[in-house]
Amino acid sequence: MRGAAVIGLVAGFGLLVQTTLFHALPFGVHPSPDILVIICVFLGLHRHTVGGALAAFVLGYLQDAVSGDTTGLNAFGMVVVYMLVYLTCRSLWVDNVVSKVVLVFLASLVKAVAVLAVSALFGAFDGEWAPALSGMLVNAAIAAALAPPVFALLSGVRLVEEREAR
Amino acid sequence: MEFVRRHRILLTSGSLLLVSLLLFSASLRSPTHRDPVGHLVLDALAPFQVVFSGLGRSVGGVWSGYIDLVGARRDNQRLYERVAGLESEVVRLGELERENARLAELLSLRGHLDGVVYGARVIARDPGPLSMTLTIDRGERDHVRRGMAVLSPEGVVGQVSEASHTAARVVLLTDHNSGIDAIVQRSRARGIVQGGTDGSCYMNYLSRDADVVVGDRVLTSGLDQVFPKGIVIGEVVDVSRRHRGLLQAAVVQPKAALDQLEEVLVVDATVQVVDPPA
Repeated sequence: MRGAAVIGLVAGFGLLVQTTLFHALPFGVHPSPDILVIICVFLGLHRHTVGGALAAFVLGYLQDAVSGDTTGLNAFGMVVVYMLVYLTCRSLWVDNVVSKVVLVFLASLVKAVAVLAVSALFGAFDGEWAPALSGMLVNAAIAAALAPPVFALLSGVRLVEEREAR
Repeated sequence: MEFVRRHRILLTSGSLLLVSLLLFSASLRSPTHRDPVGHLVLDALAPFQVVFSGLGRSVGGVWSGYIDLVGARRDNQRLYERVAGLESEVVRLGELERENARLAELLSLRGHLDGVVYGARVIARDPGPLSMTLTIDRGERDHVRRGMAVLSPEGVVGQVSEASHTAARVVLLTDHNSGIDAIVQRSRARGIVQGGTDGSCYMNYLSRDADVVVGDRVLTSGLDQVFPKGIVIGEVVDVSRRHRGLLQAAVVQPKAALDQLEEVLVVDATVQVVDPPA
């Protein structure tokens, strides 16, 4: 229960940071890295339960509430990421920092492409893919760079749960 | 039963994917659909966003101030201590002056609009790279409703796409879901200004023989019943006739500095422009 509360707090904080602080950076560029996707990757790696899948959906739904004017798009992307990470870590050993950073980079790209593809499929996106994809690469790289501290925060969840289990 | 137990995570995920697609499809099919949970989240986040947004501006201000001062500090080390006190005062007054100028411009625009107009402060930006929206600190409590037009002194900003009790989400004119009925000021050629994926926007559905050249100013036509007629949208920076057929398109550079907005005006469809601003 405490673990879920910590994940919720980190998710809320991440959502606030990604909707406000990144846009106030004084460097002339305004990236939009997906911090919630890092939490989703954490869930896919360490939460192999129905609750984990539901949490991934809720993360996407929260993002939908503050992004764009449609509902369900980010929820779809997050569940895709959760499923792929879950399936990946069943057959690949993903436990060191480098592999997690790479996983977050790829997951961020997968989510963005999934969101774009579903939008195109439903006729809600008819723009050009190239500029959208180049933006995704930059944002995925920033999300990957932010992954180690976020994972460090979330690893506290595992310690709390292990303590509770004892 | 054993199969369901063994694959419960994949089955749950698959069901959630279906639910997401259904939600997305439903929200596309009924644009007037209101998501009560989304409103609650928006309301819950709004006060924190105000705090974080202010924090971000302060950090940005401190950083910009530091960068500006580094060069001067090297050259004026001896005078720095005497000047520093005055300089911070100048910075503070400069900020006040800029804010005053922005608010004066807003008031000036307000003077040209006949009808109900609300001022609002931008408190957050879109976290997603594909959609371009921002959040303002006015909601239904302040009579801001979905569909209202959002303007800045320079021109059109976008349209309110969602209004909760205390905040509202604005889809910018550069968002690919945005569409504004527009005319070219010089030739009165008519088209629809739509957002692209690269931060710019396009005037589409211009007839092939329409007279549009680089430098033309694009205004709202008022025919979409959302934006008052005669508000500046932007300036034509390129005209493309590469499409075969009856239509041509023009690339429009928005007049409003959408990345730097801090205050905006929200107006409803009944507002009329009197004595349009230059």
